[in-house]
Amino acid sequence: MIELKNVSFAYVSEDVLRNVNLAFGPGVTAIIGPNGSGKTTLLKLAAAIYRPRVGEILIDGVNPWSASETVKLLARRNVVYVHEKPIMLRGSVADNVAYGLRVRNVPAEEVAARTEEVLELLGIKHLAHEKAQTLSAGQQQKVALARALAVRPKNLLLDEPTANLDKNGWETFIELIKELAREGVCIAIATHDRLLAMRLADRIALVENKIVTFVESPEHTG
Amino acid sequence: MWQEVAEVVMRSLFISGTATVLATSWSIPIAMIITAKESEFRRALLDVANALVAVPTVIIGLVLYLLFSRSGPLGFFGILYTPIAIAIGQAVLITPLIISLSASVLRETRSGIWEMAVSIGATERQALVTMVAESFPKLLTTILLGFNRAIGELGVALMLGGNIKGFTRVMTTVIALEVSKGEFEFALTLAGILLLVTFAVTAIVRKVSKTA
Repeated sequence: MIELKNVSFAYVSEDVLRNVNLAFGPGVTAIIGPNGSGKTTLLKLAAAIYRPRVGEILIDGVNPWSASETVKLLARRNVVYVHEKPIMLRGSVADNVAYGLRVRNVPAEEVAARTEEVLELLGIKHLAHEKAQTLSAGQQQKVALARALAVRPKNLLLDEPTANLDKNGWETFIELIKELAREGVCIAIATHDRLLAMRLADRIALVENKIVTFVESPEHTG
Repeated sequence: MWQEVAEVVMRSLFISGTATVLATSWSIPIAMIITAKESEFRRALLDVANALVAVPTVIIGLVLYLLFSRSGPLGFFGILYTPIAIAIGQAVLITPLIISLSASVLRETRSGIWEMAVSIGATERQALVTMVAESFPKLLTTILLGFNRAIGELGVALMLGGNIKGFTRVMTTVIALEVSKGEFEFALTLAGILLLVTFAVTAIVRKVSKTA
């Protein structure tokens, strides 16, 4: 679980988000709001990529910004943030998917097994040896998701995850997220896709005018 | 004549190559430190590097001359008018250029690669190494620009090397000397070779960075 308590954040001097109180618990939280409202910033704060100007972030009860480097790393490793624009490393799809496991010094046999498992899960096993940077945007999005799932995160933060997916990919994604939610993973999805929010979300947070105005179950949002 | 030309070309390549290796060995780590975290000090460091990119070569030559001259603080090394002095001078000359361009390349990848690496569980050091590895082709190009600046400069080579025949004479100093003597044919031949060398090195580096 990730909690944001009285969090404010500014890139330069003016706050982008102000006094945010929010918790991403088990199940799916959809984050909606207009362009530039701070959805991505909110996710990056929750992933401890950005440090809040004031307030605190608790990842499974640990504030990574006041913890030692070791504890901070352990807390961070419980969260994976997947960018809206997939970031692909040079090298093959398999190399990209294995990256998170390799930095954790997971043994090579297990890396290979888990890489194969997630590639199969996302239906991109046939791309394993392709150069990741040459793939289409939709394929790269699946690779980025596979890379995130390979490390089996307790908290998964997805930024516009369906932006480049076709209809089949979209349906597969919905089923996958439902399955992860059933397994107890805390998932937050920033999205413009209202249908996605309606289909998946247990809670919806609206980010607007620098504040998170309400958190509701989807049936209350109209 | 051709034996002398070959000798000068090889010496130029060796001196400027050494200078580039030296400058790269400290410039890339400095660029990594600058881009690793935002801070006023790191921004100031980058501002200084950016400002020093345009410093005339003769100023660097003069400062190092005063340092390396017999009565200077580093005079005891006895390296003035040697290829080592030219290599050090050229390394100092291209350091701000490599720092400035490398920092720019690394900053570009920071928002994407670094964030991805950290968010997938890399330590900050692992993320930094990944950033550098992913930026390798672009970093190679910045190093190449440094080499081209080094091999094409005159002030440092002249002031620290002294243009001693068979010892510190490099392509640019020979061109300047031959022009002053009115030997335009020899000067033009060397100028052509200098251009060819820079084109060839550029082509090789491009090839390497594409396959890397």
